[in-house]
Amino acid sequence: MIDTKPVMRAFLKKRELVRQHIDSFNDFVENRLQQIVDETKEIETDVGVTVRFGKIEVEKAEVIEADGARNRIKPFEARLRNLSYFSPIYLEMTPIKDDQEGETERVKIGMLPTMIKSKICNLYGLTREELIEAGEDPLDPGGYFIVNGSERALVTIEDLAPNKIMLERTEKYNRITEVAKVFSKRGGFRALVTVERDKEGMIGVSFPSVPGNIPFVILMRALGVETDQGIVNTISDDPEIIQTILENLEEFLEVKSSADAMEIIGKKVAAGQTRDYRLKRAEQVIDRYLLPHIGVEPEDRIRKAYYLGRMVLRVLELALGRREPDDKDHYANKRLRLAGDLMEDLFRVAFYNLTRDIKYQLERAVVRGKEPSVQTAVRADVLTERIRHALATGNWVGGRAGVSQLLDRTNYISVLSHLRRAVSPLSRSQPHFEARDLHPTQWGKICPSETPEGPNCGLVKNLALACEFSTGYDETLLLPKLYELGVKKIQKTG
Amino acid sequence: MRIIPKRIEKVKFGLLSPDYIRKIAESKIITADTYDEDGYPIEGGLMDPKLGVVDPGLKCKTCGGRVGECPGHFGRIELSRPVIHVGYAKAINKILRAICRKCGRLLLPPDKIEEYRKNIRKYRKVGRNEDPIVEDLLKNAKMTKRCYYCDEEQEEIKFDKPTTFIEGKNRLSPTDVRERLERITDEDAEVMGFDLEVARPEWMVLTVLPVPPVTVRPSITLESGERSEDDLTHKLVDILRINQRLMENIEAGAPQLIIEDLWELLQYHITTYFNNEVAGVPPARHRSGRPLKTLTQRLKGKEGRFRSNLSGKRVNFSARTVISPDPNISINEVGVPELVARELTIPVRVTPQNIEYVKKLVKNGSRIYPGANYVERPDGSRVSLNIKRTEEIIEKIEPGWIVHRHLQDGDIVLFNRQPSLHRMSIMAHEVRVMPYKTFRLNLCVCPPYNADFDGDEMNLHAIQGEEARAEARVLMRVQEQILSPRFGGPIIGGIHDYISGAYLMTRPGVRFTREEAHQLLYAAGITEELPDPIVENGAEFYTGLQLFSLLLPKDINLTYRAKICKKHEVCKKEDCPYGAYVVIRNGEILSGVLDEKSFGAFAGELLDRIVKDYGTDAAREFLDKATKLAINGITKIGFSTGIDDEDLTTEARERIEEILDNAEKKVEELIEAYNEGILEQLPGRTLEETLEMRIMQTLSEARDKTGNIANEYLEKSSEELGRENSARIMAISGARGSLLNLTQMAACIGQQAVRGERIMRGYVGRTLPHFKRGDKGARAKGFVRSSYKKGLDPLEYFFHSMGGREGLVDTAVRTSQSGYMQRRLINALQDLKVEYDNTVRDTRGIIVEFAHGEDGADPSRTDWGKVVNVSKIIHSIVDQRESENVS
Repeated sequence: MIDTKPVMRAFLKKRELVRQHIDSFNDFVENRLQQIVDETKEIETDVGVTVRFGKIEVEKAEVIEADGARNRIKPFEARLRNLSYFSPIYLEMTPIKDDQEGETERVKIGMLPTMIKSKICNLYGLTREELIEAGEDPLDPGGYFIVNGSERALVTIEDLAPNKIMLERTEKYNRITEVAKVFSKRGGFRALVTVERDKEGMIGVSFPSVPGNIPFVILMRALGVETDQGIVNTISDDPEIIQTILENLEEFLEVKSSADAMEIIGKKVAAGQTRDYRLKRAEQVIDRYLLPHIGVEPEDRIRKAYYLGRMVLRVLELALGRREPDDKDHYANKRLRLAGDLMEDLFRVAFYNLTRDIKYQLERAVVRGKEPSVQTAVRADVLTERIRHALATGNWVGGRAGVSQLLDRTNYISVLSHLRRAVSPLSRSQPHFEARDLHPTQWGKICPSETPEGPNCGLVKNLALACEFSTGYDETLLLPKLYELGVKKIQKTG
Repeated sequence: MRIIPKRIEKVKFGLLSPDYIRKIAESKIITADTYDEDGYPIEGGLMDPKLGVVDPGLKCKTCGGRVGECPGHFGRIELSRPVIHVGYAKAINKILRAICRKCGRLLLPPDKIEEYRKNIRKYRKVGRNEDPIVEDLLKNAKMTKRCYYCDEEQEEIKFDKPTTFIEGKNRLSPTDVRERLERITDEDAEVMGFDLEVARPEWMVLTVLPVPPVTVRPSITLESGERSEDDLTHKLVDILRINQRLMENIEAGAPQLIIEDLWELLQYHITTYFNNEVAGVPPARHRSGRPLKTLTQRLKGKEGRFRSNLSGKRVNFSARTVISPDPNISINEVGVPELVARELTIPVRVTPQNIEYVKKLVKNGSRIYPGANYVERPDGSRVSLNIKRTEEIIEKIEPGWIVHRHLQDGDIVLFNRQPSLHRMSIMAHEVRVMPYKTFRLNLCVCPPYNADFDGDEMNLHAIQGEEARAEARVLMRVQEQILSPRFGGPIIGGIHDYISGAYLMTRPGVRFTREEAHQLLYAAGITEELPDPIVENGAEFYTGLQLFSLLLPKDINLTYRAKICKKHEVCKKEDCPYGAYVVIRNGEILSGVLDEKSFGAFAGELLDRIVKDYGTDAAREFLDKATKLAINGITKIGFSTGIDDEDLTTEARERIEEILDNAEKKVEELIEAYNEGILEQLPGRTLEETLEMRIMQTLSEARDKTGNIANEYLEKSSEELGRENSARIMAISGARGSLLNLTQMAACIGQQAVRGERIMRGYVGRTLPHFKRGDKGARAKGFVRSSYKKGLDPLEYFFHSMGGREGLVDTAVRTSQSGYMQRRLINALQDLKVEYDNTVRDTRGIIVEFAHGEDGADPSRTDWGKVVNVSKIIHSIVDQRESENVS
């Protein structure tokens, strides 16, 4: 037998036990904050002033004393004095008035909770001796926040993987139907898109803001695949599968063009409105709510059509018994949302609230006849308090409770365990036997032994000792490579 | 005030008529304001003093009673327009469809109606529920297109939940609905299920709203002096406001549209006043965004009036603390900490006989232990003794007073552990006041309470009345519950060390010298004379059987097979070398050993016979002494177990490995047969299922075989070493653990299963990436070859965790589900009772069963469920003959 202890020791030296949270948070601060700001780009007001956002920067944690002094405190002081260990966020803002760019200002837009031992923490990079000097436990893993003096850990949330087609066989009213589901995620927006085949073989698609199902054929036509041949091409050349599609096509012979289809969809999404509005709304719905992860512009429609074709193919294969339903508990179908991801959700909402407030303040200033000033329009507390409140109570955006918890300091091990905990959002009151089982794919990722007894059994998990996180890859970097290798781009053809 | 006892014969539910509401209303509420500037309630407001009092010191303007005396009085709100009562909307819908839109007659021909009427009468006569007939009538009437009486064409009525009715294209206003309901004749209403004494159809549409008394919705005064009103009051304020506005608008002749809007709003407020969780209606909210708790919410659910205030109540004179074991107290005793004894009291009426004693208690007061907490004068006023001036009170005490004295030794109390799943979960114990802070209980009562000492807490209730005390003593005492009504055997009995102790003492060849015998008997509190010793090679000694025989009634005769019986094909009976054949003649154990079958909980044959033939007190005494004897015996003999109890010889291990190898090979063969399609399919199974079943069967057989080998070797090695294997002793005597546990520790853990199947889920085509795709072999699907002693390899450990997880989830899920099932069973069966004519009836006197359990037998008086145990009778006669022959 090989002695694995030195390996393990070396591993843990490099990858401390709560590295995942700290890395995730650092990524949030360094990259994703800027992305969120870029999503908004600028605020347009109704009074002719526009504010354009520039670079966002976060400084190291500090506290503002009663006399206005700014101190870069250490975490221990925050704990003792019941302070919040937060870092100031600065954002470059450029007011534009009547197409005249004003002077760019660097405005403090609020305070961001500082994760202990992250890059914006004052303990970052300190040696053991320095940590002791700073009044810190040199063995403290970090990876949590300090809000009003209490230590708050963000619990990893285990979610079903977004942007992945999941096949299901469901029973509705004693009828077995085959369904393909996708949680399409773009930014903070999640849209559930389903493709369903009913008993008669009719295929329907449902997605947010559309009541009921839209027949697949109509949707494809609306997406710009107008010919029958084109629709079949997006799916398969297998005769058995084409058969079902032909049945679907026959049902809607009168729908010939994209315009016809838009008309029908418009009636569904904006019944009782004017025709112009209906068409506009139909286009909007298709671009914004159908598979938003592929894109939200009209030119993305053709790609959405091909994606839908893929989903239909899978549904039909399932119906024909060529495929089995996907195992929802397979760990390949799960994603863990770490501290950085959770902070991202929170910050996005808080930042949106802030922009709305800035807009309101600017408009008010103008109405009152004052010169609009970016400095005064930004009320930093709007952002800070929104975040602080969520972190202090655990009530996250989207109505999820218990996301942040008081760090369990019973002993050193309980701290580590708490920071490596992952919670499934499934309800604890229902049996959910399958979800609670130890799944073989959890081997090496989730501890097989550590789970609470009682109603949370199997839903609250703990990471295995040597579990590592991969954080995905930017697809914009990957796509050119694929095209280089000869992958054909989906394009609208005549 | 003398209370005249009355018997409630029945309770009848009906609707409140507008007239009745006006009659009971003491005040007409007209203004939405509650208090004036000075903080006094406004007359005609929602806090009208005529509705009762909630503030101490004030008197009720209606009855003159003070807080606590005045029950409160109803008020009323005259609604400007009628409003539908949500609770009856469904019933209204059904009736509207069944009556003519013009003349209001039931849409059925007269002869049909007559037929229904007859049927209903017939049903009522025999006490059957007439609802199904009414349902049928309404359903049939709905079909009619044209009225039989006025020839009016009927239109389809749509019910738009929760409170809107649409006929054809016109909306029916509550006024229209009410008018239609009014037109229904009394005769028609009767066949539609109305009891005309208490209900008329149109009363389902409200014209007057009763306002509950203020005592139902008291306002609370915060520390800041601010008043905070009850949710119901808030809702009533809303109703009043809208009602007022609607009235003003009607009087001012406002346009129809505005009136309809206000009417709709009034309907909304009254709907949410009754039920704030109606589907399709946004719940009315408090200013803080919290939904209001209105009438239905007060009654519904776990925290509602029914479940938390009527079915369950909080009690005084109770205590709760951690429990711990005490083998030295009797099974019907409970050790009570002095701290608790000082807090709980028993009322004692002072008589000339006990006055001196009682005075002593009063003198001690509430702080010195055998004391009293307060005294009660004949007029019911109480004086606390938690003060120093007890002297003057002692002077005043005379017969007729009641002294609430501390709990003392010998008092009967009720002892309970949740969940109270059967009647043995609450039993009456005698108090033993003890030091420290836990309740102490004898280990024999652990099984009925399902208690252990890993932090369990139990409740204790001090009985306050003489009748209750007598009832508890006769019906609920521990010894009365030895026999379980579940299976007709003892549920109270020896566990763990008591069993192994008795077994070790009574095994063949165990000898005690006279000194040892005396020590043991003394420790167990047995005062019987020692019998003649057995003499062998000039040495005198006693056997364990002789010692235990001292505890038996002198005339008991019994023959049974002990737990250790191996069920050989040919039974050697008395000559069984293991002592598995127990023979008791005239109170003497002639052969056999005592183990779980003697006085163990759930199994004790001997204990069972003693309770049934010699009474519960004899059984209690037997159990107390036998357990003490056994515990002292095992202490003397010595007993310990360790991991070396699972040691096997190399030979045994080799044999086990061989069996497992063969089993795995056989599994491979089965899979091959399956792949080649030559596997014989079992009837009613698919080929895959057949394969799975065969594999499971093969592996479980293999595991059993390894277990047998392990057991065999353990037995052999203990014979060779002259020292019995402790783990095995526990397993075979029934003290703890089973042979399966032993097998898993020493030989092979066996197949891990999730939901009754081998482990199937995981990666595509395989459970774990360590296996090839499509591998159906034993190890790939969760067969654990190792033993706990040997240790599991990582794969085995993971599969074992999977199997273990299922167990954890099951227990977690099951507790909640079984609690719910229990609740439903109790609700369904709670008032069934065996009457004196032996029939089982419900409260209406309707017979559910002619004889309880169809045989009229009380299961706790049966022999393990059998009403007549023929073999027992035969045995008792044979035994009696035999013992006569012996003498």
